[in-house]
Amino acid sequence: MEAYNPNPTVRKSAKQIGRKSALQEESLWLVENEENVEETDEVEPLDQDEIFDLIRSITDPEHKHMTLEDLMVVSSPQIEVGDDLVDVEFTPTVPHCGMSTLIGLSIRVRLLRALPMRFKVDIHVKPGSHQSEHAINKQLNDKERVAAALENPALLSAVEDCLASAGLRGQRLE
Amino acid sequence: MDGPERIERLVRTWMASGRDQDVDETITVISSGQGSLLNVVKTLGEYLTSEEDELRTKGVEFMSAILSGCPPEHFNRQSVKVLTSFLCGKLDDLETVVPALKGLASLTYLPTFTSDDAVDVVNALLMHVKMKSLVQSQRFIVLTIIDNLISKHRDALKNISKHFVPGYISLVNGEKDPRNLILCFAIDRVLLLEFEVKNYIEDFFNITFCYFPITFRPPPDDPYGVTTDDLKKALRSCLNATPDFGPLGIPLFLEKLTAGSPMTKRDTFQTLVSCLPVYGAITAGSFAKKLWNCLRLEIFQATDSETEEEALKTVQALVNVIYADRDSADIPGLVKDVCHECLDLLKEPEKSQAKPAMKTLCAFLSTTNSVSRYTLGCALPHLTAIFHNPDEASNRTPTLTLLCELIIAARDSTPDSSPDVKLAAFKDDLLGIMTVGLKNESSCAAALDGLKALVTTSGLVTNDELGYVVHNVNEVIAEEWANAEEISDTILGLLSTISAHSPTHVEGTTLPLLFGALPDQAPARGAAPERAKCWQTLAFLAKLCKQPTLFETLVVRLTTKLDMICGSTTHPQEDVEPNAAYVHSILLTLRNVLEEKVDLDHTDVPKYLDRLVCRLFNLFAFSVLQPAALHMVASEPRLLKTTGEIITFVVQVTPVAKQQVFVRSLVDAYLNGNVKGLAVGSLKLPEDQVFHPFEPSASLFQKNMIVLFSAAVIALHKEIPVPVQDTSSFLQSLYTWSVQHAESSLQREAAWHAIASILNKRSDDSIVFLTTCQEQIWSTQISNGAPGRSVPDRRYSISAWTWVTKALTTKGHAASEAFVDRLFEVFDDTDINWDAAKAIGDIVASDDILTKKKHAAIRILFAQRYCSRLLPRIVEGAKGTGNNRQQVAYLVALTSLIKSVPKSTYAPEMTTLIPLLLRGLQLRDSDIRVNVISTLHAATDSDTNGSNILAEHVGTLVTAMLENSKVQEMPSFRVRVAALRYLGVLPKSIRYDKLHPYKTTVIKELSKVLDDPKRAVRKEAVDTRSNWFTCSG
Repeated sequence: MEAYNPNPTVRKSAKQIGRKSALQEESLWLVENEENVEETDEVEPLDQDEIFDLIRSITDPEHKHMTLEDLMVVSSPQIEVGDDLVDVEFTPTVPHCGMSTLIGLSIRVRLLRALPMRFKVDIHVKPGSHQSEHAINKQLNDKERVAAALENPALLSAVEDCLASAGLRGQRLE
Repeated sequence: MDGPERIERLVRTWMASGRDQDVDETITVISSGQGSLLNVVKTLGEYLTSEEDELRTKGVEFMSAILSGCPPEHFNRQSVKVLTSFLCGKLDDLETVVPALKGLASLTYLPTFTSDDAVDVVNALLMHVKMKSLVQSQRFIVLTIIDNLISKHRDALKNISKHFVPGYISLVNGEKDPRNLILCFAIDRVLLLEFEVKNYIEDFFNITFCYFPITFRPPPDDPYGVTTDDLKKALRSCLNATPDFGPLGIPLFLEKLTAGSPMTKRDTFQTLVSCLPVYGAITAGSFAKKLWNCLRLEIFQATDSETEEEALKTVQALVNVIYADRDSADIPGLVKDVCHECLDLLKEPEKSQAKPAMKTLCAFLSTTNSVSRYTLGCALPHLTAIFHNPDEASNRTPTLTLLCELIIAARDSTPDSSPDVKLAAFKDDLLGIMTVGLKNESSCAAALDGLKALVTTSGLVTNDELGYVVHNVNEVIAEEWANAEEISDTILGLLSTISAHSPTHVEGTTLPLLFGALPDQAPARGAAPERAKCWQTLAFLAKLCKQPTLFETLVVRLTTKLDMICGSTTHPQEDVEPNAAYVHSILLTLRNVLEEKVDLDHTDVPKYLDRLVCRLFNLFAFSVLQPAALHMVASEPRLLKTTGEIITFVVQVTPVAKQQVFVRSLVDAYLNGNVKGLAVGSLKLPEDQVFHPFEPSASLFQKNMIVLFSAAVIALHKEIPVPVQDTSSFLQSLYTWSVQHAESSLQREAAWHAIASILNKRSDDSIVFLTTCQEQIWSTQISNGAPGRSVPDRRYSISAWTWVTKALTTKGHAASEAFVDRLFEVFDDTDINWDAAKAIGDIVASDDILTKKKHAAIRILFAQRYCSRLLPRIVEGAKGTGNNRQQVAYLVALTSLIKSVPKSTYAPEMTTLIPLLLRGLQLRDSDIRVNVISTLHAATDSDTNGSNILAEHVGTLVTAMLENSKVQEMPSFRVRVAALRYLGVLPKSIRYDKLHPYKTTVIKELSKVLDDPKRAVRKEAVDTRSNWFTCSG
């Protein structure tokens, strides 16, 4: 297999997103044991960190021991969340990366499975980061083509391979 | 009948029957001296020379059997010689070869067997034995004979090595049986090491390397117990037996490395590590390039970390061999080439290949001194230059991370005893770089790691330099961004490491800084960042002040702070909550440090009975006795709870004698109002107010003080009675107080804890109390007929009853069963039956009051005893004939009990329990549902038996869990999370064919749960749904 980017830039993954609820953050009181937090009716809306948490640990198809987060392909600021709309931008490590479509497809499938149906998900590469940017964007956001791609058992199994680690949510691969 | 005659008869009988007992009898005859071997041979004569194949075989067989059984002293030199040459002669006869081998094997063990015999035997073996025509166990005999001869008559065999060695080689060529191979390998090694084999290296190579790598897997019922590892080790000991194998072996290893599986690769690396030192520098050097090419692939394109690690070890072995005798590594060759290759990659420290490059360099540090010096000399200046290069400013963090790895490797590769400090020459540069990195938010954590690595290198950093490091770290603490958890944790790690070496710097500069950062008044309600900073400071102090002298400072400073905050008069309209919360966070800090100190058995804790516990009593007594609305401290339950914990920690480690004095002043204060003896401290208690917390008319705040009373009482030793006139009547009054006069659950629980603890430890003083409970309290306060009691009062009384029963059950008291059984009497009473039912489990639930540390009397396995007595009754009741109310109560009791006892106690009953638990899932109480789900979880998780039973109910389970996971149907998010988690476990523990019919439904229904208002629920829904997506047959 041709290596598109044998020596990509990596960064030490940020720690897990540990969030206190809004109520706790404003609390005067130091909470010892977070498990004892009482039940409240507070609604916690979906936000970009939560979406990022869903896709950060997807394995990169070319570098099997690194995640999309390690390679800075996805990041929290590149995600936008509206009422019924999620917009995910990702950055291929090199402009000629042939894996970009597979990465985009993996993100698509992960969000298809992890987000409520009411959300419309838009996935695209960062403008100017890929030589066939337009083609990739078109492919990733065309329902029919995504569905057709997932009919292909080889492709689906490649996607499943990438998604196997998605549940780690920022914990180390190993 | 004399000996010879008997032998003759036995031989003849055996020839006909083949019975073992004839052999044994013959041996007995010979052993007793009545007959001799000669008699046997004589009698056998006709058979041994018979024309009939079968008779000849049997003749030799009998003789071999006798030889193996006869005691050695019956063989003289002469007979051994005769027997040896006789049996050797029988080797060329196809019919007698097998028994002859057996006989020879026995002979070789005899002391009278000489080297000449050995030579004869070897010659005969090589001449006549055809291994291919023998089965595995027979070949084993041949190999045993040779092995025996080699260990006993090695020199004789060396003399004939010219034909012995080639003969042996062709003899064992093609051996496949693992047990035989273990012997072969052992013989091979001796031959290679001690015999003249120069001319046969290639042959030996062929009969040893052909087995590499070992892929043998022992069959499940292997009678010989040969493992893969035994074989690998035995083979390896051949492969590394001679340097002559090098030029032949290394190419073979290279070939295995290019084509093999990860398993083979690891085996090859391990073998290389053991072989390279034997093969020697010249051979290793000539293959260095080719080997490195293979190794590089495994390091730089690692498939798994295990193989990568083995590859790095091989690199070290290779370098060690080649550079063992060289004083300098700065000559063209492997190390120089690899270093340059790695340094090249390090020019881009942010890229992924920099990491394996650094690993390789780090591996070099654990090889020879010269290589290690050379590597550090190249790598450190290289990275230092990158760090200082303004164009690379954005890459400082990865550069620091790489440097840190190098420092750690340098540290760990030097033995503690070594006077040579590898990094000494680079110390100033490194400290400089790290302090620069420290000041920048993004590189701070990496710099802290680096500093920690430097500080922990023995003999490197001087005391003054430690001061410099601490000073720089102190500056970082003040930064806003240092609040981030990652950074503050690392700072603490570094400071605690430094203070473990030399506490003066932290004590002298860091602590004053931290104490100074604590304000005298809490930050205002809206000032969240300041508050966070306070918490951060306190967290630092907690972490740094465990050590006894530092802890003393901590207690002095924090108690002063508490007196200051609580002692000042506040205006009624002032917002007191921020201050209360601030006091709470200070108390919590003290509590957390004390808890750790108690766990670590620090001996300085008891002295804080006077210095801390009494001062806290002073603080609270002062507060409750104020006439004005100055109750902020005493009124806040969280403060009381935390203070109570502090008191318990100190009292529980206080020795008996001191406890005795203390408890007297405690009781004197609480029962007689003489609070001054107890509450000694800096705040002046008002003279005109009376301290009488147990009076029914006392203020809420005074009553709260019971919490602190109870906290001290529960930590008393068994030997110490509470100094009241009559323990029974004191317990009874506490009981009454808890039900009728206590005003909050905090107060009530405190009273119950005190009752339970006193009763558990002093049950002999409390017999009257127990009688009163049974004869009066139950009927007047709990039972159906209890006149004029409100429902809440009856409920409180059940809780009190539970704690009484708990105290008795825990120590295995005789009266406990009668107390438990009372609870079943009210299972039909809708007002209190749920409380009574839940109490059944609460009685044996683990708690923090009746524990060994708090000196409670605990009977071993009391929970198991309790459960096995009650479980059948409860199961019966839940299934049984009672009315619906009772059945439900039994069901509640069941879920509560199962939650409280170890799983092993009820595991055998699982088949009966599961249908009941499933019914329990329909009870409206969300605690019960969580209990049931977690019980099911435990049953499904660990044992296959449980899973099998559950598999039968999978439809019901799936439906129930889906129902409990929807926000519309289940308001408690705890239940929703539990249900989803359990649903997510099913695909892992239950056979797919059972789940298949539900897969579509689950995935479809879970898509609705993905929209839950709670984040935690959504997270579980996503994970569970993934599990179901990926499960398949």
